[in-house]
Amino acid sequence: MTAYIIRRVLATIPVMAIVAFFVFSLLYLAPGDPAAVIAGDQATPQDVERIRESLGLDRPFVVRFGSWLWDIIHGDLGVSIFTNLPVTTMIAQRIEPTLSLMILTLILAISIAVPMGVLAAWKQGTWIDRAVMGFAVLGFSVPVFVVGYLLAYVFALELDWLPVQGYTALKNGFFPWLENLVLPAIALGGVYIALIARITRATMLEVLSQDYIRTARAKGAGQRSILFVHALKNAAVPIVTVIGIGIALLIGGAVVTESVFAIPGLGRLTVDAILRRDYPVIQGVVLLFSFIYVLVNLAIDLLYTLFDPRIRY
Amino acid sequence: MSTATLPSPADALPGGYIPAAAEPMPDVLPPVKARKGLLGFVRRNPTMAIGGFLLLTMIFIAVFAPLLWTTDPTALAPARRTREPSAMYWFGTDMLGRDVYSRVLYGARVSLLVGFSVAFLASIIGLTIGMISGYIRAADTIIMRFMDGLMSIPPILLAIALMALTRGSVQNVIIAITIAEIPRVSRLVRGVVLSLREQPYVEAAVAAGTRTPMIILRHILPNTLAPITVQATYICAAAMITEAILSFIGAGTPPIIPSWGNIMAEGRALWQVKPYIVFFPAIFLSITVLAVNLLGDGLRDALDPRMARSL
Amino acid sequence: MNRRTLLQAGAGFGASLLLPPLAAPALSQGAAARTLRFVPQANLANFDPIWGTQYVVRNAAILVWDTLYGFDDTLTPRRQMVESEETSSDGLTWTFRLRPGLKWHDGTPVRAQDCVASLARWSSRDSMGLMLKAIQKELVAVDDRTFRWVLSKPYPKMLMALGKNSTPMAFMMPERIARTDPFQQINEYVGSGPMRFVRNEWVPGAKAVFERFADYQPRQEPGNWLAGGKRMLVDRIEWTIMPDPATASAALQNGEVDWWENPITDLVPQLRRNRNVRVDIADPLGNIGAFRMNYLTAPFNNLKARQAVMAALNQEDYMRALVGDDNNLWKKLGGFFTPGTPLYTEQGGDVLRRGPQMDLAKRLLAESGYKGEPVPCIVAQDQPITKAQGDVTADLLKRIGFNVDFVATDWGTVGQRRAMKNPVGQGGWSMFHTWHAGADTINPAVYIAIRGNGERAWFGWPDVPPVESAIAEWFDAPNLEAEKTAIGKLNAAAVENVLYVPTGFFLTYQAWRANVSGIVKGPFPVPWGVSKA
Repeated sequence: MTAYIIRRVLATIPVMAIVAFFVFSLLYLAPGDPAAVIAGDQATPQDVERIRESLGLDRPFVVRFGSWLWDIIHGDLGVSIFTNLPVTTMIAQRIEPTLSLMILTLILAISIAVPMGVLAAWKQGTWIDRAVMGFAVLGFSVPVFVVGYLLAYVFALELDWLPVQGYTALKNGFFPWLENLVLPAIALGGVYIALIARITRATMLEVLSQDYIRTARAKGAGQRSILFVHALKNAAVPIVTVIGIGIALLIGGAVVTESVFAIPGLGRLTVDAILRRDYPVIQGVVLLFSFIYVLVNLAIDLLYTLFDPRIRY
Repeated sequence: MSTATLPSPADALPGGYIPAAAEPMPDVLPPVKARKGLLGFVRRNPTMAIGGFLLLTMIFIAVFAPLLWTTDPTALAPARRTREPSAMYWFGTDMLGRDVYSRVLYGARVSLLVGFSVAFLASIIGLTIGMISGYIRAADTIIMRFMDGLMSIPPILLAIALMALTRGSVQNVIIAITIAEIPRVSRLVRGVVLSLREQPYVEAAVAAGTRTPMIILRHILPNTLAPITVQATYICAAAMITEAILSFIGAGTPPIIPSWGNIMAEGRALWQVKPYIVFFPAIFLSITVLAVNLLGDGLRDALDPRMARSL
Repeated sequence: MNRRTLLQAGAGFGASLLLPPLAAPALSQGAAARTLRFVPQANLANFDPIWGTQYVVRNAAILVWDTLYGFDDTLTPRRQMVESEETSSDGLTWTFRLRPGLKWHDGTPVRAQDCVASLARWSSRDSMGLMLKAIQKELVAVDDRTFRWVLSKPYPKMLMALGKNSTPMAFMMPERIARTDPFQQINEYVGSGPMRFVRNEWVPGAKAVFERFADYQPRQEPGNWLAGGKRMLVDRIEWTIMPDPATASAALQNGEVDWWENPITDLVPQLRRNRNVRVDIADPLGNIGAFRMNYLTAPFNNLKARQAVMAALNQEDYMRALVGDDNNLWKKLGGFFTPGTPLYTEQGGDVLRRGPQMDLAKRLLAESGYKGEPVPCIVAQDQPITKAQGDVTADLLKRIGFNVDFVATDWGTVGQRRAMKNPVGQGGWSMFHTWHAGADTINPAVYIAIRGNGERAWFGWPDVPPVESAIAEWFDAPNLEAEKTAIGKLNAAAVENVLYVPTGFFLTYQAWRANVSGIVKGPFPVPWGVSKA
């Protein structure tokens, strides 16, 4: 058991190494000369050369990659071209809003989508099933930012139930923090809810047709007990799988949601960095998000062992 | 559920499609009158029919846009900016006086082109890689590690980062999104290839001395087509939404070429006062993505059981 | 039901669920009234007002740094940090004496040495400063509160140079910071202005925070724009950067922000309808839209190519794209100076005012020998003014027959890229868009963009000797008549040679909550005297 966990954890290292390789190549392939950009317009060619040397831009690829990797391991993600601040500082400033948004969306989505999927499976073929699935497909199809604008218009501007934009740090109060995140979480969660609901329904359907369910029913177990105790537990694995994969959707959607709701998070940082071609920041953010994604999926893989004792990869 | 068919995180695809095992195989299909012809087809596969019909409509609109009472979508007329929808401007005009109706119709071209191209390219390339990986053990570990790494970068971020390397253009958007989608296809194909290799008839063919290319062509390839097709539709839908998001944040197709994404991006500032600029492309995009998703669902329902049974 | 009742209902419910005692929101009602939440025109990505000439940097800088002189609302320089000044009879020696009690934000007193170092840095970047530097014999501190600037020629516009509000302003910084190379950014933001910059709350791209500096000694006179006493009536100013105008508009209507620098014209009617929002013209001196072509690279190094663009220009298109249907908000412009001011002239500017002449434009393009080279236009997408102009220009150039390479980027990148003199294939540019506040285009002294001295001119590096001689003539003019003659010649020469292309004159709005008072009209927002009820 422990051996399995260790093996699994170690397996993430080559994955992260490849991610790091890609991310580093980004700066290497990028057009333009970072040294010239940093030197500014009035610099002489000698100045630019001097800066290039100090940045180590004249060393071969492998050496640069190695030293960059070394820096990363020590937590040094470089310095932003535009703000001159260390990338780690910029990320640290912005991580709380994004993590808050993602976690809240996760909780919201799971608590809505799983019951939805169970309901649809239970009432398979009825109008409830079609309605739920129709809703789910809709969730895939409407772009996140359109949903965001709609929600902001209805609930914030017209009804004034919630604020339009912004983010309040958790230390300034739980309810203000929550207020600012409700609309963004709903907007962001749409796609996620659709995904989870579909998988939940599909897996529940398959599980419900299994023999042991029939046996439980024959033994007189109640519907609720069948659904939740027997079926859901066995359906947990694919559901949890999809939750893990869906994190990627959340990350992508966070980029847009933060723009719409003016949340000062990593998503907006990414957008700004892209427009400005601030490669160190782009690299840092992509690396961080990939790391989170890998960690989450690792956690899920490890959770499998809890759910299904038959699993031994 | 046996462990062999448990999906791993790497295997789920856009649209939540997990191949074969996790999808329900209904023991008994509801009885339908076996009608021949189109009507029968629609009866038996309502989702596919609706999706297909909507998609065909969109394709028609895109292809025949110049003939559908449109004007030049890039023609500026600032004197007539932000006019509400009217008899003259069916969807109104945007902030530079351009006709929104024409832009939306021409925008269909870009969005559909991006969607189809990405789906096609990602499928072809993913198929090739998956085949190689599934068939050649030596290459497998390396390729799969590589794909794992690539897959760990959330697709939108990868697309965004790739766009940052170049300037915005339709080709670059297609390339960027394709690269982000290839790993999943290759894993899918690899999975199918691996399971197929163990099949008795394949082993028999090998024993009989059939050359490898023949085996691939005759036995392996046909069986990958069904799952690839299904998942190609989901990739198409995801690509269209990704293009919209890229344009929304300014990293997508250049504003000179109308696409639903950048029409919405340009109209977002006026969303509260002139909602139609965002509304119309949003509707078109949603309908198209919906259509593709329905098509994919329908295909999956139609093809999967057959595929599963034929193994 | 509104947000407050929902919040209270939720709070009560939550408390009853045994949640741990929740931290109360950091700002109680009283504190909230002392915080001004402002939405600036753009992101504050860097904060060196000498190194960076963007308006947004200057607008933030006036909070943190002070100047020796400041313009009042008639654009006359008045003493600010200076207590008294003296000119020698030959006009060659200026002696300045600082007010007593001036302090830096770190508590140390402001000394003349600091001013000397600051002026040295400023005069290496500013056009008037460079003129002074060229004729400077000595700039030295006499004692802790006095310093002396000795020139080899008289410079009557000295006070204007020191007090002007066009970028870069002559901000005073502590000596150690002012010693930074003028072509590198400072990284310590300590000044002697009425607000301190709260560095550890700065999130570039999202937020900037300023707090009232308790030891600031405002002048006795009542505040009058950049002159007089700068009395802060709020304790804290928070800049929230909102790239999405729709979000900013909603936030203003909801009371989540107090003051919006640059509402886009399309959203103004909606703001006007809101009882809690006030909207007014930001500055009667308005703005001049502009695009500048690169004299150093093809095709615009050829006069005929530039003239082709100007011939096809339709100012109405640009102005409508910027300000919409309200005809009160824009005017056609026959020249380069601010309408409604004494030096405004339309001499030689017919080609600007009459409608587009596409045939003439195409002919001029052909005559220029244009061979279809790509023309990179860098257009900032996050600034509504530049974005609208960029779209119109791209269309214009295409119709004339140029091969347009539309580079969509952001304002920060435009600032960097326009400084590059590389050829087009290697990261260079052919055209970028901007705009100038009317206060900056009043006369050649403050007008960096009107210079035609080639490589040392503003981005685009126009090389137009007749403009330079007209400017010199203006500087030497003994009276208003002579000034006007000089400006007339300047205008005609600038049009003839297409120094840059003015796209029209337009006014912009600013908007604020009804409970905020003290906001005045001006080229940029001035926060002293502003209070919240």
